[in-house]
Amino acid sequence: MSSDLVISCDGVGKAFQLYMRRNDQLKQAIFGHWKQFYRQHWVLRDVSFKVHRGEKVGIIGRNGAGKTTLLQIICGITRPTQGNVNVVGRVAPILALGAGFDLELTGRENALIGGAILGMRRAAVEARLDAIAAFAEIGDFFYQPLKMYSTGMAARLAFAVCAHADADILIIDEALSVGDAAFAAKCDAFIKEFATQGTILVVSHDLELLATVCDRVIWIEDGAVRKLGTAEHVIADYRKSVEGRAAAKALLLKRAAASS
Amino acid sequence: MTPLTPFENAWHYRELIRAVVRRELAVRFRGSILGWLWAIFGPLVMLSAYTVIFSNAVGVPASAKQGGVGSYALSIFTGLIVFNLFSELAYRSPGLLHEHAAVIKKSIFPSETLAWTAAIRASVYALISLAVLFVFELALTFWLPPTCLLLPFVVVPFFLFLLGISWFLMALGSFTRDVAYLMISIVPVFMFATPIFYSIEDVPPHLRFYVHFNPIGNYVEMIRDVVLFNRFPDALLYLGTVGGSLLVFFFSYRFFMQYKAVFVDVI
Repeated sequence: MSSDLVISCDGVGKAFQLYMRRNDQLKQAIFGHWKQFYRQHWVLRDVSFKVHRGEKVGIIGRNGAGKTTLLQIICGITRPTQGNVNVVGRVAPILALGAGFDLELTGRENALIGGAILGMRRAAVEARLDAIAAFAEIGDFFYQPLKMYSTGMAARLAFAVCAHADADILIIDEALSVGDAAFAAKCDAFIKEFATQGTILVVSHDLELLATVCDRVIWIEDGAVRKLGTAEHVIADYRKSVEGRAAAKALLLKRAAASS
Repeated sequence: MTPLTPFENAWHYRELIRAVVRRELAVRFRGSILGWLWAIFGPLVMLSAYTVIFSNAVGVPASAKQGGVGSYALSIFTGLIVFNLFSELAYRSPGLLHEHAAVIKKSIFPSETLAWTAAIRASVYALISLAVLFVFELALTFWLPPTCLLLPFVVVPFFLFLLGISWFLMALGSFTRDVAYLMISIVPVFMFATPIFYSIEDVPPHLRFYVHFNPIGNYVEMIRDVVLFNRFPDALLYLGTVGGSLLVFFFSYRFFMQYKAVFVDVI
């Protein structure tokens, strides 16, 4: 069973160093051995979970709960302050569509660079260029500089590159809210298809999507795991909490209006 | 970490480095009508201007008297190719991580490759200037010294030295923007401390020892030796400079990799 483990987070914590003044950062780098020039701000604390091969895991939580930081740690972009993360297999992160794209280059050239960033050989990307262009549905714009693209077109191209990266693990951060309804449907279809053989970790506010795609959901609140379980249960509880909060807020507003 | 680690890393990411270098070169002159001809015009104009200025307006230093104005212009030009290579990286490196902040934070981009791409890009322009230099040298003297074949032995360690400088400045520059401004103020001063417009032989003997602590000056002198004067570089100078360059290369790489995960949080 343990050989199936693709992602394991063990007591992961992340603290950011908050500096009051710009120069304190440099002071810390030089004199950090003797004195501390920052305050620590914990974004994540003691997060532990395991993901097995082929599992589809969703992450939900309010804005600022630490979801994006968690994904960055799993992708190896930033190091956890505490705990350990172990990832087996090639990861294709879709954290921001089109990060690293160059406006002066054509869609084709950008696709080649995007593929290289994801760790693909040039020949492998070249072999998939047609498929990428077809998936992105941008027609002859594929051979035009990216500055001619609409936002939606650039996002579609970016998604197409990640979709053809031959990854073992797909990590997605809300990237799907871009594009029109038709493309969103296509992304959904792709994710569902990828889900039949690959491992997926997805952060989203789209509870419907999570309910259909994911086996398990992790609910993160204030940097800690609030609840971890089957998609159905966690989403139901999360809904209740959000609705409860909304109701409480409405009540407060009503009272405030009544008293004034 | 073994001495080979930086090379293994670069080899591992060779596809990415190649793709980014291609992009940088392709974007550079895109949208201009003359395109790549600008890369040749720049050095050509510079070389012509020096020849004219030093043959008419300004006197030639003692060391260059016997060679004449043409060879003095070539000597300056050689110095400037080397120095411009260094200065482009010194100006650019502190901002490299900020420039690529989006891709570093949002994807699994290996930021250490940025030094390679910046150094290769700068070297491409230096090579074009070098070709212009060779053409002028041929036109003036009708031959190229055979020691030109030794050029790779000087240029490769210089390239590694530049990579080291780039990693070091990238790392420092990520913490504070001041490094970029520091470079803008000290690089021009450094230029006059480097034997570009003069030769090391013009330096008073009691100061020469200290001038050798400037690796860029050493490279200028060694490259002049093999490209212009048909001389072997001084063995001690060569070994010292190359040894120092390798140390800069490895320790800067280690320094950069040690702080690599921290950059993401500060840029």
